[in-house]
Amino acid sequence: MEKRLLKKDKLAGIIKNISREMLVYAPVKEEDNVLFMALKEGREPLLDFSNSRNAPKTFFFPRTEIMMKYTRTGKGMELSTGEVEVREAVLFGVRPCDARSFALLDMLFEQDKYKDPYYIARREKTTVISMACVHPPYSTCFCTSVDGSPTSGEGADILLMDIGDNYLVEFITSRGEKLLKYFGDLPKAGEAEETLKKEIAERAEKEIKSHIPAKDIKPILDNNFEHPFWETIHRKCLACGTCTYLCPTCHCFDISDEAKGSDGIRIRNWDSCMYPLFTLETSGHNPRTTQKERWRQRVMHKFKYYVDNFGAISCVGCGRCVMYCPVNLDIRKIVEDIAKL
Amino acid sequence: MENVETKLREEAKKLLAEKKADIIVGYEKGTLPLLAPPCFITDPEDAEKLVWNAFCVQNLAKFVHDLLSQHRESQKRLKPADRTKKTVGVVARGCTTRSLVIHLQEKQYNRDDIVILGVPCTGYVDRKKMDALIAGEEILEASVAGDSVLVKTAAGERKIPLKEALADNCLACRFNNPLISDLMTGDHAPAMDVTQEYARVDEFEKLSPDERWNYFTREMDKCVRCYACRNACPSCYCKVCFVEQSQPRWVGIGEDRSDTQVFQLMRLFHMAGRCVDCGSCIAVCPMGVDLRRFLKKLDKDALELFEHRAGISPDEPAMLGAFKESDKEDFIFTPK
Repeated sequence: MEKRLLKKDKLAGIIKNISREMLVYAPVKEEDNVLFMALKEGREPLLDFSNSRNAPKTFFFPRTEIMMKYTRTGKGMELSTGEVEVREAVLFGVRPCDARSFALLDMLFEQDKYKDPYYIARREKTTVISMACVHPPYSTCFCTSVDGSPTSGEGADILLMDIGDNYLVEFITSRGEKLLKYFGDLPKAGEAEETLKKEIAERAEKEIKSHIPAKDIKPILDNNFEHPFWETIHRKCLACGTCTYLCPTCHCFDISDEAKGSDGIRIRNWDSCMYPLFTLETSGHNPRTTQKERWRQRVMHKFKYYVDNFGAISCVGCGRCVMYCPVNLDIRKIVEDIAKL
Repeated sequence: MENVETKLREEAKKLLAEKKADIIVGYEKGTLPLLAPPCFITDPEDAEKLVWNAFCVQNLAKFVHDLLSQHRESQKRLKPADRTKKTVGVVARGCTTRSLVIHLQEKQYNRDDIVILGVPCTGYVDRKKMDALIAGEEILEASVAGDSVLVKTAAGERKIPLKEALADNCLACRFNNPLISDLMTGDHAPAMDVTQEYARVDEFEKLSPDERWNYFTREMDKCVRCYACRNACPSCYCKVCFVEQSQPRWVGIGEDRSDTQVFQLMRLFHMAGRCVDCGSCIAVCPMGVDLRRFLKKLDKDALELFEHRAGISPDEPAMLGAFKESDKEDFIFTPK
């Protein structure tokens, strides 16, 4: 693994250079929000930001994508794949929690038995450049409670860490090393920087203010599918799905056909366990009748089923759902309350 | 405000202890600053959790309707002799009581199904305005003292005039005191400035149809159709909304802008004479869509064409459920 030092004022230029040859997604200021967007003329990548409103999963798993197209003809159905050409891309400025979400999503979309060609095609052509949280940006951050760390490089190809005058640039994967040429001839990092990195990492972890017993609740969830507690959390929920849409790890989708005349497309859309149409069957029956069952599903999926299936909690502790829920349904409090059951 | 809060807790506790209410819908302290989310109290001892301050945003009439309709559904399968009555207590400011009146006008439940704990209101803090005023810093603590909001960030403490932080609908509120109530928990709050009530609508009406359509299109393009506006709205209580019907399906579920526009137009028109300007839809919108301008236009139309203000009189029928000889009809034959 190559470790180099980069003068801080050089970074923006390098990113812009890359964006001349490849598609670059970076955090940019858009009206009042910081959003991940494709860089184009006039859009400046932010280097000093807390975190984006939207999760970068959208570049691998877009909100709507066409799976196939069909046309009804006199001879029957004509089918064609809806695949669009996937371009080489760079995802710049991803926070370690969000980068970790890619590692978690990989477990689902790229299994031995089931492979999702849409996700994999984008993932393989995208280089992820992470930006370590030298100071965790929000009081609601809780990555350390779910096996993450504010300075982790998990899920990233390149990790940048602000170590004062320089960025310490770690080229973690071979895909990351392919971008070395854009960084120019950088001096190698030495012992001193390694020690500094360790110090910064330790301090950053200590700065995390929010801690939840996320790993303790699995045995409780295992035994309490039926419990009066589930009656208590959902009542104020508006079922807007903001939590799941902003979540870096939520990945449920719904497939639907949209037809116009004799042409049609089959599209895959984000779904949300918060919606009344979630798991509604053709017969009209829904095994999850009310918001109670849907909330149980959300908690179980993140803290039990994903652990059962892949050995990891499906939450990276970014805190978006906590900050943006319109009725303050706080997953941290739910986890704490479950731990007390 | 402290006095109101103390009285509110006492009364709520009494109502539950004396079994005059089975559940009380109110507000509690949030886990983050600037938030006082809805809460549901059934144990008299938990009445202590209730709060009343400028961070109480949601119109709770929505939850009253939810609870009562769920209860009615659950009773359907029981023998008549086994059926029970459920009484819902609700902490209600002016706009909340207007929504309750609309429910009563529309025969959604009976007056004796609810107990109204009236609270005087001087407006609530708009989180989006606060974020803009603080410009990017994370708000760690917030409280209201007199005419200011005290805010603590990593950079230190700041004092923000309450007026700058109040939601637009609150600043121009005509009915900030409960219109109906069973118990009042404080003196009437002073009136707000209603002179600017339709200022943004008047401005909008002067634009050309193209300009107005462009504005509508631009705003609706922000919408991600999470339906939080609909779900937060006390007047949106259809059992199944047309957007969620699948046989037949009226709107697609993809990102087609016309699908979004159809949803929003349909919802907006269903609000004619039924919007109390509580601002809940705007407060919960994750994308900051300017719904209020369109809703206020409908509100103004209801006033000018039918001399109707939404939910101010339980004795009057719903606007579109009644005919008056004075109803204007020229707009049908010669639309503007």
